Amino acid sequence: MHSDAAQLDCRTAMAQLWDFLDQELTAEKMEAVRRHLDECGSCHPHAEFAEHFLSALGRCRCADPMPETLRERVIGTLRSSGLMS
Amino acid sequence: MESGSLSAPSPAREHFDREVLAWMDDVYRFAMSLARDATKAEDLVQETYLRAFRSWQTFQPGSDARRWLFTICRNAFLRSLERERNQVSLDDGDPDALDAMQHHAGMISDGTDQLLARIDLAPALTQAIGKLNEPFRSAVVVVDVEGQSYEEASVILQVPIGTVRSRLFRGRRHLQEMLADYARDAGFAAARAPAGGGDHAQ
Repeated sequence: MHSDAAQLDCRTAMAQLWDFLDQELTAEKMEAVRRHLDECGSCHPHAEFAEHFLSALGRCRCADPMPETLRERVIGTLRSSGLMS
Repeated sequence: MESGSLSAPSPAREHFDREVLAWMDDVYRFAMSLARDATKAEDLVQETYLRAFRSWQTFQPGSDARRWLFTICRNAFLRSLERERNQVSLDDGDPDALDAMQHHAGMISDGTDQLLARIDLAPALTQAIGKLNEPFRSAVVVVDVEGQSYEEASVILQVPIGTVRSRLFRGRRHLQEMLADYARDAGFAAARAPAGGGDHAQ
């Protein structure tokens, strides 16, 4: 089950942590980082905190609805610019 | 007859209505994430649609209209920043993921991460994003807030993927520094001082 890729050192695992959490690594590298994080007590807290941090960032989307009048304003501007009938 | 003012007949005007106007809510939300101000966001939406309409003939039918609009909106945002203040240096350097992890390490060693893990960071981060300088803010908004991949972000931001990563990692690091300040300002650091004893930091 163990492959060379699974034998990541902490420095390499941490250097790839953002890419790992963003799911931007190859499948093999994803697995290697995942395995390292599962087994390494010192890297695991980094990953947990980074995950919490990214999860919170994902909730920072603006929740305010677009003002009702904006669509009309945009279409009005396009019309007054002669771009739209 | 006014619709004839479009310089090229293709893609068809009705496609603009269907494919582009339909994304106005998303463009507004994206503009709000960048500008952090409703009035500025509305101006950005207006400018985005004006520019989109004028360059509609360059739109590739079948490509991602939302992503195209985000690109235009982000460029409009950068122009608005240039008008407001001197542009910050766009020195990207090499991505250094370890830099952010070293900052993590500091937060972990002093317990700040444990404190921050117990609270909802989103309100503090929403404020912090507004303080983030360009080009880091756009990278964080596109990838972390809007959930775009590095590849999609590179199209929207019009930079190579490596530059997206670099800006993103630096942006995250800046946000973490602001979070550490936030923890201190909120008194978390004092609350976890060992003098009072006990296991609970808050």
